[in-house]
Amino acid sequence: MPDAPLISVRELSKQFRTFKRREGVWGAIQNLVKRDYRTVQAVDRVTFEIQRGDMVGYIGPNGAGKSTTIKMLTGILVPTGGEIHSNGYVPWKQRRQYVKTIGVVFGQRTQLWWDIAVIESFKLLRKIYDVPQRDYDERMELFNAVLKLNDYLHTPVRKLSLGERMRCDLAAALLHNPPILFLDEPTIGLDVVAKDHIRQFLKEINQRYRTTVLLTTHDLDDIEELCKRIMIIDHGRLLYDGPLALLKQKLLRTKQVKFVVKDSEQAARIAVLEKDGRKIEAVDHLTYRIVFDRAEVSTAELLRQILAEVEVRDLLIEDEPIEEIVKRIYAGEALKEVSA
Amino acid sequence: MGPGVRKHVELLVAYAVQFIKVRLAYRADFLISTGASMLATAFAFGFLVVLFQKVPQLAGWKFEEVLFLYGFSLIPFGLFNVVSLNLYNFGNDFIIEGKFDRVLLRPVASLYQVIFEVFRIESLHEVVVGLLGVWLAASRLKLAWGPLEFVLLFFFALCGAVIYVAIFLMLTCVSFWVEDRVGVHPPVWNLIAFGRYPLSIYSGFVQFLLSWIIPFGFATYYPSVRLLGRPEFRVYAWLVPVVAATFLTMAIALWNRGVREYSSTGS
Repeated sequence: MPDAPLISVRELSKQFRTFKRREGVWGAIQNLVKRDYRTVQAVDRVTFEIQRGDMVGYIGPNGAGKSTTIKMLTGILVPTGGEIHSNGYVPWKQRRQYVKTIGVVFGQRTQLWWDIAVIESFKLLRKIYDVPQRDYDERMELFNAVLKLNDYLHTPVRKLSLGERMRCDLAAALLHNPPILFLDEPTIGLDVVAKDHIRQFLKEINQRYRTTVLLTTHDLDDIEELCKRIMIIDHGRLLYDGPLALLKQKLLRTKQVKFVVKDSEQAARIAVLEKDGRKIEAVDHLTYRIVFDRAEVSTAELLRQILAEVEVRDLLIEDEPIEEIVKRIYAGEALKEVSA
Repeated sequence: MGPGVRKHVELLVAYAVQFIKVRLAYRADFLISTGASMLATAFAFGFLVVLFQKVPQLAGWKFEEVLFLYGFSLIPFGLFNVVSLNLYNFGNDFIIEGKFDRVLLRPVASLYQVIFEVFRIESLHEVVVGLLGVWLAASRLKLAWGPLEFVLLFFFALCGAVIYVAIFLMLTCVSFWVEDRVGVHPPVWNLIAFGRYPLSIYSGFVQFLLSWIIPFGFATYYPSVRLLGRPEFRVYAWLVPVVAATFLTMAIALWNRGVREYSSTGS
């Protein structure tokens, strides 16, 4: 018997009424009297379910409705239509009980107190969430081990680097061991090492506590590393909801072969491969790349040609980066064949 | 309710301890701000002394009685100043800068989090100076106080602080509906000073305004009349807690409506 979904979202919609602000003092007075309202459909009849323990990536271009969805899921915003049931609660109706069972990280904005040492923030949060001392100690130990918080626990948040701050924010969001974790761009602005730390930590938490994670991101490596399932939203509509692998399989159009020739003598011969409108890019003086459409060219045939013409020292076949696929989806490429 | 109350008190203490630590970390800033604040209080008392060298009485009030009123008015005012900082900053910091999202993500009442996040502890000196003024005036007036008056002194002071909080909280709520960077607080804030003198020196309109619209009179004047044992407006003293409770209830109701507005617009 399958479990009931932990999060269930049905026909979720959010409209904002905004108005154009006029400039200047006179404009401000006019604003008070007469406003030209415009309705913006930020989220448009979105439906999905998430099972306990899943890690789901939620992507879309800026302004697509990701953050608005997260804000409704966390109880900050009240939907204008549809329903949310999350961990047995209706978030906006039972906000105070509900938020005890979720952790939230907004990458752009810290949840910690700016001026006080990190450890003091944690102690305050322990009180706010009624975390027993023993649980607190146990979790802090884990967080220290994976996130290496010890080095800056006594530093005020405002003095932390972005990467350090993000680690602290993650730990803070998980102090009360919530079954659900919402992350809005958790790796934004971080360097490769910090990103890797965060991803390892999320994996660890997911495995250890079966924490359900929904994360929005612009970095598709986050998704590839963490999520089997991906949801794509644009203009408030859910365009795709399914396995990442399926998306790739259906929409993958090009592949690339990268190869290193033996020496500069071989490099000089490279032009012989330039036929059938094929383009060869030089990566450096011995490394070359050929991008090809996998529907038109067979990989085996291409490899055979390359190996026949030049002496190759190393060779790598890669799929089109997931970024390229997603870019094409945003640009309006039909998803019919996938969402079916 | 029981454990809930205990948790909130514990939280309040934790917030306050944290805040004081931070304040003391910036020692110079703290000292300068305290010094400036004390200087302002000292000047205000100086003004009172100068005033009474020119006029012996103010609407039938002796110098010591006005000193008492002035001193008493500083007690609720000081208490209010300790917790009011975020009321002024709310529109900017919480609504426009978006800190209110964080507040809504925590399992504690939103208003509680906003008010008790920062404290202007240097304002406690106003409470001390106010108590000194009251003590000085009371001893020169040889007031015959029983235990009830001492209890009333603190009870009234607390009610007064609640009245101030309620009024300014209502003004703060404007930020939920209007993006407001200028602030609607300063004009009303200036009215507080009116309550430091006997209301009887003002026109009927001002008396009405300070009693029933923006009831600062109930924070300072009417309690002082009772504590001084003066004959006028004696029954009004019983209305002090009623006014405080009514205005606080209205302010909290308005706040809750504001939070709902925020939740549907995200501002």
